[in-house]
Amino acid sequence: MTRRIFLISLLLTFVSVIHASELQPYTASAATPALKLRDMNNKEHDLNQYKGQIVLVQFWATYCTPCRKEMPSMNKMMTKMGKTPFKILAVNMGETEDEVKTFVNEVKPAFTILMDPAGNSIADWRVFAAPSNFIIGPDGKIRYTLFGGVEWDSEELIAKLQALAK
Amino acid sequence: MKAIQNTLVLVLCLLMASPLLARELRSIEVDDTSIDLRVFGANGNKLLLGFPCDEGKSVAEEKTAQSLAEDGIEVWMPDMLSAYMLPDVKSSLDKIPVEAVVAVIDAAMKTNKQVYLIASGVDTDLILRGAAYWEQQNKPKLAGAILLFPRLFKSEPVPGQVPEYIDAVGKTRLPMVVLEGERTPNRWTINQLTTALGQGGSPVHAKLIPSVRGDFFKRQDASDSEDMATLQLDGLIKASLF
Repeated sequence: MTRRIFLISLLLTFVSVIHASELQPYTASAATPALKLRDMNNKEHDLNQYKGQIVLVQFWATYCTPCRKEMPSMNKMMTKMGKTPFKILAVNMGETEDEVKTFVNEVKPAFTILMDPAGNSIADWRVFAAPSNFIIGPDGKIRYTLFGGVEWDSEELIAKLQALAK
Repeated sequence: MKAIQNTLVLVLCLLMASPLLARELRSIEVDDTSIDLRVFGANGNKLLLGFPCDEGKSVAEEKTAQSLAEDGIEVWMPDMLSAYMLPDVKSSLDKIPVEAVVAVIDAAMKTNKQVYLIASGVDTDLILRGAAYWEQQNKPKLAGAILLFPRLFKSEPVPGQVPEYIDAVGKTRLPMVVLEGERTPNRWTINQLTTALGQGGSPVHAKLIPSVRGDFFKRQDASDSEDMATLQLDGLIKASLF
């Protein structure tokens, strides 16, 4: 009996975790914070320059297990988004270049990694945990947020993001 | 020859017995519940009361407690979860009566030592609730509290929104030290937390432990830096006892 209760609790926990990792419509009226950071090749990226595209802004760290796990699905997502104008800006949360380089060599992200050594954007974007994700619409406004790891190349997620471009 | 042999056996027995002697098991009765307590006795005037809530699993904590006791700091580790037959999950914390925490604090205060509270992660909720309830009853002052990488959000943080802290935050005047891992997202919000903790009147100091993640001393995949920090945990705690 105890075993059965334990299994049911485990199942419910699992279901709630899956539920938690869904895109949540962004309802706050606050303007999209600025994001101007350099990538690993020292090239500056400004979120404003990607207006007209859908942008996934992700705050991540190498020590964050869900971040590590989901990155391969972000690579696949880049392909699955097809002709929809789409960009991923993955903001590293204050780690050193050496730490990030080791990770990049291992995971080989097909998207832009931005460095934020002072962590200024973390405060601006009100990020309190990793991974924290923001989906920016072509108009530059935050449309969805998502906390936690997720399979970014799932059909449902891709369809939801592609719909933003229409 | 026989005398030397006997002496050797006696020395060997004493050496083998010494770690066991340092850890005494006691229990505290609260209403109809018996709370088991691991006591690492010491002669100093400071007593550290930890709420690890996981009898049998806290290997690093036990070693640290042993080491602190050898330095004169007495350590008590009450097993609140087993006392109330609760599983080791976050929601169990709400089911531990604050009166039971206060009863353990009361027993510790009777030693006439300076009593400090310590907990890690989500368990820090328990000591904040306990301290607030203790103060409400106008009991003698506790010396302080150490919060190891406290996790005190009411719910999962939503990106773009300032999260709420649990109700126990900012309800006590207890002096506090917050120790946070440098390799955790929480390091970026440590000022926010110390401000919230201080709203009840607590003087709060925060320190970052370099190159470690939260819960570093409980991790199976600990890095070299985390292993090193675990070995030095007693020193970190000692330095935090103001």
